Amino acid sequence: MTQLFINDQEVDVTPGTSILEACRQNDVDVPYFCYHPELSVAANCRMCLVEVEGWGKPAASCCTPVSEGMKVKTQSETLAKDREMMMEYLLIHHPLDCPVCDQGGSCKLQDYTVEHGASKGRYSEPKRAVINYELGPFVNTCMTRCIHCTRCVRFADEVAGTGDIGVLNRSDHMTIAGIVEGALSSELSGNLPDICPVGALLDKPSHDVSRPWEMTSHSSTCIQCPNGCDISIESRGDQVMRIVPVDGSPEPWICDRGRYVYDAFRSDNRILSPMVRQDGALQSVDWSDAFDRTIDLLKDKKVGILFSSQWSVEGHVAISLMRDALFPDAKVAFDLHRRDMRPFAFEEGLAMTTSQIEAADQVVILGSDLRQRLPLLMQRLRKRGRAGKPVSRIGAMNYRTNMEIGRDALIRPRDWHGVIARAMEQVSELGKTAAGFDAWLGAVSDRHEAGKILADALISDSCALLVGEEIRSHEDAASLIHGVDLLMRACGHAEAGNDGRNLIPEGVNAQVLSAVFADARVSAGDIFAAASAGELDALILIGSDPVGDGLFPSAAKAALQKVPLVQIGSISGEMADYADVQLPAAAYSEIEGTFVNMEGRVRVATNPIKSLGQERPLWKVMMRLIQVMGAEVPVVSLDELRSAVCQHLSALSDAWCVSNQDSALIAPNRNRDAAALPKARTDSFELDVVSRYSMYREGMWARASALLTEAGELNALDDVLVHPDTLAAKGLSAGELVVKSFLGEQCFNIGVREDVTPGVLFIAKRGVAGDLSDVTAASIDGGAV
Amino acid sequence: MLKRAFKTWFLWELLIGLSVTGRYLFKKKITVEYPEQKTPLSPRFRGLHALRRYESGEERCIACKLCEVVCPATAIWIESEERDDGSRRTTRYDIDFSKCIYCGFCQEACPVDAIVETQEFEYACETRAELYYDKKMLLANGDRYEKQIAANLAADARYS
Repeated sequence: MTQLFINDQEVDVTPGTSILEACRQNDVDVPYFCYHPELSVAANCRMCLVEVEGWGKPAASCCTPVSEGMKVKTQSETLAKDREMMMEYLLIHHPLDCPVCDQGGSCKLQDYTVEHGASKGRYSEPKRAVINYELGPFVNTCMTRCIHCTRCVRFADEVAGTGDIGVLNRSDHMTIAGIVEGALSSELSGNLPDICPVGALLDKPSHDVSRPWEMTSHSSTCIQCPNGCDISIESRGDQVMRIVPVDGSPEPWICDRGRYVYDAFRSDNRILSPMVRQDGALQSVDWSDAFDRTIDLLKDKKVGILFSSQWSVEGHVAISLMRDALFPDAKVAFDLHRRDMRPFAFEEGLAMTTSQIEAADQVVILGSDLRQRLPLLMQRLRKRGRAGKPVSRIGAMNYRTNMEIGRDALIRPRDWHGVIARAMEQVSELGKTAAGFDAWLGAVSDRHEAGKILADALISDSCALLVGEEIRSHEDAASLIHGVDLLMRACGHAEAGNDGRNLIPEGVNAQVLSAVFADARVSAGDIFAAASAGELDALILIGSDPVGDGLFPSAAKAALQKVPLVQIGSISGEMADYADVQLPAAAYSEIEGTFVNMEGRVRVATNPIKSLGQERPLWKVMMRLIQVMGAEVPVVSLDELRSAVCQHLSALSDAWCVSNQDSALIAPNRNRDAAALPKARTDSFELDVVSRYSMYREGMWARASALLTEAGELNALDDVLVHPDTLAAKGLSAGELVVKSFLGEQCFNIGVREDVTPGVLFIAKRGVAGDLSDVTAASIDGGAV
Repeated sequence: MLKRAFKTWFLWELLIGLSVTGRYLFKKKITVEYPEQKTPLSPRFRGLHALRRYESGEERCIACKLCEVVCPATAIWIESEERDDGSRRTTRYDIDFSKCIYCGFCQEACPVDAIVETQEFEYACETRAELYYDKKMLLANGDRYEKQIAANLAADARYS
């Protein structure tokens, strides 16, 4: 530790810390603009000047490392004068338009001018004006206000990885600009207004709408992806105005999906009162009428229950209580992306924290579009890449990551067995083996060279495998995961404390769901098949949209046309076309509840926003449903419900005392005995179908948000994509082509892209192409019919 | 003793009081016959609010919401948006005069002299609802009293 004196106070910091960081750690206030704890040091604003005893002139504290016995002064008359002069320089070209600037009220320049600046400016010459540039759908630019701290440039380089913002010219002509036209197609672009210390970069959707002092902040957890970032939902009255990251949380950023979903909270797509279908249209009715209709539909009937993982833990346990009380035999499904329901050797959830993944010797991404699915984890990997640590990847498409991937292999989903088998052979040669290797190897005849990447990574001391949706949604997922599990065991990455088996879940609360619904859980496809076959009398959908999301849209459509639907949720979406009854349940901004993210980190939301309409927390809706259906209500208060939660998950019993929220991580399930062996393929289609995940359209919330929908259209690829070689092999060219699958023959407009694996049909889950999500294999046959 | 009896029996204190009354009875009157007559008002008089326009007819208010936040009675309600030409404007500017305490803070906070208090004080009405002024009504006030407002601001300019 280095010992130094800050304002005569003795402090100890780690060697190499900058003076500014030492001051911040010890709550000594030093003004700064260009410094940001998560970005590299630029030292160009000169605001953080401090005096060091024995030094001739003041030092920029952000770029001066501490040394033993250093005596630092942060307040003195000369410093006050220096700071005043710095402020004068910065304000020379800054327009005095604080009243119309959205940053006003939360602006560093404004605050420091009051604190350190002179009361009058001496500059009377003409001020300059700077041309604005386009920075994507979410960032408004007013570059005349810019003070050239270059935080945005460093953010684009280091965090977003796009590197398309730069500095043009110098001195008085210096401007920040997008280097390419239409710059910044980053999934993290919403953070730019946050890091801009002045009003040069502002939030476009809420531009000129509200003021920082009007906001009330409600801390909550983002449920838009399994990363479950801490968010602060800012509201004016009962209206959600914006969503921002929380200082001091594990991630200082949030992605655009989690941020700009805020307009869904007040969209027309919300279910704000109970609705009942009368004369073909949904009509708003009161709760008792809606329940009367629900009783007609559900009483003594056979139902299938489908829900999303986005509810709070309390909500999920309430669903389970409702099932036990009313439909003890009903099957439930919550993962619309899992085809293989055999137990996985390692179930959904991360064994490591994201910072452990960042620090691991080797990281291998197995079949996941991490940038779209988990932008914050991708950002961690980018950080890791900058530190010179390798990231390898095997997948069906060269997903754009904005980082340099060390070793990369493009494979078809049907090659996964070969990849794992090849890796098994290689590690066996090194003498690493596990019981079950031979049986697994014996069941696979193919070998794929991409396995070498996997095997090379596995022989390092710590290896984090990020197993993604291409494996999880695979028809033979259990055997693949068993194979990966064997590999990890053989190489010593499966012991407690060094567990690198991370299966990326579809949503938050994965660990809780697999514990609570372990026995009752089936594939969503099975429920739809049962409904279509007439084995079910009704479907209950709780916050889930199987037509818009997931891998069973065609089956879901067929099922929904057959049986009546009771929809419970916050967003109505496309399910409004099918629902017979809609019951409103409160959105995640409006509830007190517990959320568990993919790492197992527990967060409790405690100060909800007032309900917009008649919606109630899901657990209350569930209990009321139990009551009207004539069963005994199991819990009547949140405390009772939480004791019921503890019966399922004893690890959560500590969650509601604030002190150790961060220390306790809920571990994902492990099924040691799950030994599934590879199955041989039975179909003869030559192409594998992989559905593309888009952060701007996946999930009911994102589709209800006009902002995200608009952004999604900006970067949309063709609906159906293949590698040019795939078509060339058949003598076809891009355009309207017939796709054969077990759904029959359908005609699609097929585009080509070099970065898709040959032999893969890559589909966007929207429009007509969405139907293809149901299939795992298909073939292209000739031109348009 | 004799003096006290005299004062008591001849109602001396009453006479002193009546002499004051008498003196004022014949003095020049300071009261005015409102509403026929009116007292002069200071240029700083704080009466009914108005929203002003520039000479071009463009409204002055830029929706900075400083008046809203400074208002101690929370009588002002503003909603804003970016107008098509890119400027920041209010879509709603309401003042509830049943809440307003006429402190003049809004006028002081306004960076563009948009919200001002006029010398108008005769706007009594029969229902509370009529005391709720929206943007249109406030702009109309501005148009109606612009001459008076400009004169008052000019008169007060050298003190501010």
